[in-house]
Amino acid sequence: MRFVPRLLPRFIAALVCAAAVATQAAPITPTRDDEVIETLPAVTGNRAEARRLRQQLAQTPRDASLALALARRYLDQAHESGDPRFAGMAISAIEAWRDDATMPDDVLLMRANLQQYLHEFDAAAASLQRLLARPGATPRPQAWLTLATVRRVQGRYADSDAACRQVASAGSALHANACLAENAALRGDVDRARAAFAALLGDARQPAATRAWLTTSLAELEQRAGRASAADLAFQAALKLDPDPYTTLAYADFLIEQKRPAQALTVLKDQTRSDAVLLRLAIAATQARAPSAAADVAEMRERIALANERPDAKVFHGREQAMFALAVDGDPALALELARGNVAQQREPLDLFVLAQAARASRQPAAIDAAKRLTGEIGLVDQRIKAIL
Amino acid sequence: MKALLTRWLVCVGLLLLGGLAQAHKASDSYLQVDAGAKGTTVRWDIALRDLDPALDLDANEDGKLTWGEVKTAWPRIEAYALPRLKIDGCALRSTGRALERRNDGAYAVLMLASDCVLKSAPVITYSLFREVDPTHRGIAKVQLTGQPLALSMLDPSRIAAAPAAGAASASEPEHIAPTGAWGFLREGIRHILTGYDHVLFLLCLLLPSVMRRTTEGWRPVEKLSQAVWPIIGIVSAFTVAHSITLGLAALKLVSLPPSFIEPAIAATIILAALDNVWPIFPVPRVVVTFCFGLIHGFGFAGVLGELNLPPGEFAWALLQFNVGLELGQLMIVVCVTALLFMLRDRPHYGSRVIRAGSYAAILVGVLWLIERTANVSLMPF
Repeated sequence: MRFVPRLLPRFIAALVCAAAVATQAAPITPTRDDEVIETLPAVTGNRAEARRLRQQLAQTPRDASLALALARRYLDQAHESGDPRFAGMAISAIEAWRDDATMPDDVLLMRANLQQYLHEFDAAAASLQRLLARPGATPRPQAWLTLATVRRVQGRYADSDAACRQVASAGSALHANACLAENAALRGDVDRARAAFAALLGDARQPAATRAWLTTSLAELEQRAGRASAADLAFQAALKLDPDPYTTLAYADFLIEQKRPAQALTVLKDQTRSDAVLLRLAIAATQARAPSAAADVAEMRERIALANERPDAKVFHGREQAMFALAVDGDPALALELARGNVAQQREPLDLFVLAQAARASRQPAAIDAAKRLTGEIGLVDQRIKAIL
Repeated sequence: MKALLTRWLVCVGLLLLGGLAQAHKASDSYLQVDAGAKGTTVRWDIALRDLDPALDLDANEDGKLTWGEVKTAWPRIEAYALPRLKIDGCALRSTGRALERRNDGAYAVLMLASDCVLKSAPVITYSLFREVDPTHRGIAKVQLTGQPLALSMLDPSRIAAAPAAGAASASEPEHIAPTGAWGFLREGIRHILTGYDHVLFLLCLLLPSVMRRTTEGWRPVEKLSQAVWPIIGIVSAFTVAHSITLGLAALKLVSLPPSFIEPAIAATIILAALDNVWPIFPVPRVVVTFCFGLIHGFGFAGVLGELNLPPGEFAWALLQFNVGLELGQLMIVVCVTALLFMLRDRPHYGSRVIRAGSYAAILVGVLWLIERTANVSLMPF
């Protein structure tokens, strides 16, 4: 948390800005009783049922299946809308269990998922390890796979490998192989990883969602390997199988990297305007000099100002804010500071790439060295990063 | 069971494929506490979308909140919220209500008042939505008479350690100046000593200063004073020029993108070095130095953003930074001039030191220019 003292002045400045933003509020003076003054966020499934579940849980807070059903709904909603308050509501749903030792297995796993969503990666890993250390014969492939993902996001590939291998021992060979191939790809062992993905995709019994996920991994592998046309084809194939928001965003990032902003705008057109989507819209529109640029940039800027009213916003939004500072504001110093703070938490290829771009743009030899060193320490091999460091 | 497991694993795989944060405005309420001589008023804005899960405001469950639904629920909103806010020493009562449209939706506004007179930042105990959403926070602005606005963040899950308002005050310099007293002076010195491009530019200007340009080429000066006065002229021109643009950029009166400034700085090095070998400027070097100094000033301004100059002490910090730059520059000038003055009588000073030095500077300048326009890395620094 070395960056915190450096961010403090900025946080204070953000608070001062926030005071200005807050004054943009306008009074509502309703004239009729049936005037709609707020539309509530969409819920997963039926609204009345969601409320019934909530009320039931209030009566019997230690009903684990009820609590988990509600928490799962909220977490899905958080993923769909990108609204962190639903992750908070999911935490509340399982709050009847305070003691790690007596927390049911599924509740502990849910807590790990929520911690991961909130970018508390160390806490998530600790929860998973506690779960996996519990005695009992039940294999826990989900928990191992989640741990492998958390470790990968943290840039701890060796630990991730170890967890992937446990997925295999727990009886899920497909996921174990995909998990190991993903890590191999990150390390630059591209040929082996490509062959592994091809073998997994060759199994015709895989459901479309699994094939989509494997194809997205393959697309990202080609993207990092600098093979743009192969990456492009794989992204399109993945989106055809399952146009999920993650792949859509990843493809938009790829198109922006390839200086094809107009196509990025087309890909993002029908997406929910979450912060992540709006950020890419603002960057692509700026790059393409599209007429929508001014409005999207202004809206994104306002959302950042609002988010920064909280000091922990830099932890949860560091990557996005760094990308905005770099691509829209052309402020490499700020981008570097944010990117450094971000890689203290998450170290996915995009995080390192943003750090490298910020370091390069800032022209600071020490920053470029540090980015190079961190990429090397993690063991990430990414031609995009190599090209600029 | 196996099918279910697979489905679950696919979900996990998809959701965790990457931690791509689809960030969104979090749940916050806003408190404005105004402490006057006769009493204290509080304005508390709470999002309706946060109140709904706690109070089921949406009576007909259609996903839309009408004024009728909110009006009916208002006593419940007050009954729910008021016990969850305590300001030490103040008994709060409701004095009014309003609705406010903010960037992220509609907010219920609770107007509260108390007869208490606050002399110092009060302890605020806040537990709103504690059982609904532990990620919720209250953002409080506390205004005491004659004191600067204090801002703080209230965490409902930490009610035991009630955070005092004023934890992050906008006007306490010790929170702002990360580098301590005279810290910006040190930053200025550090910046020029490690800003290789500025140092190289200065060196290009100084290289021929111990020589005079004659029709037969470079001839060494006889006395130190013959070298010192032109140096003073050149260094002053550089200083005045970069101070002007540094100031203009710092005050945000003029702004040029780094994508233009950084290559331009490289170009000044190339041109200054070229002029040492073949005279290319039709005007005295002092004038050229002044023009180029304007460009370098924008380069210095680039680091200002990173240094977080405190708004309250902006002028003072900027002055420190600039004085630091000049001190660092003076150290370089004195050392280099002394060295060159000793070397000037060596045979072939003109051909070896000036020419070789200038060629080297041209090479480095060209490499920098390519790096900074093509965004590639050619040199280890």
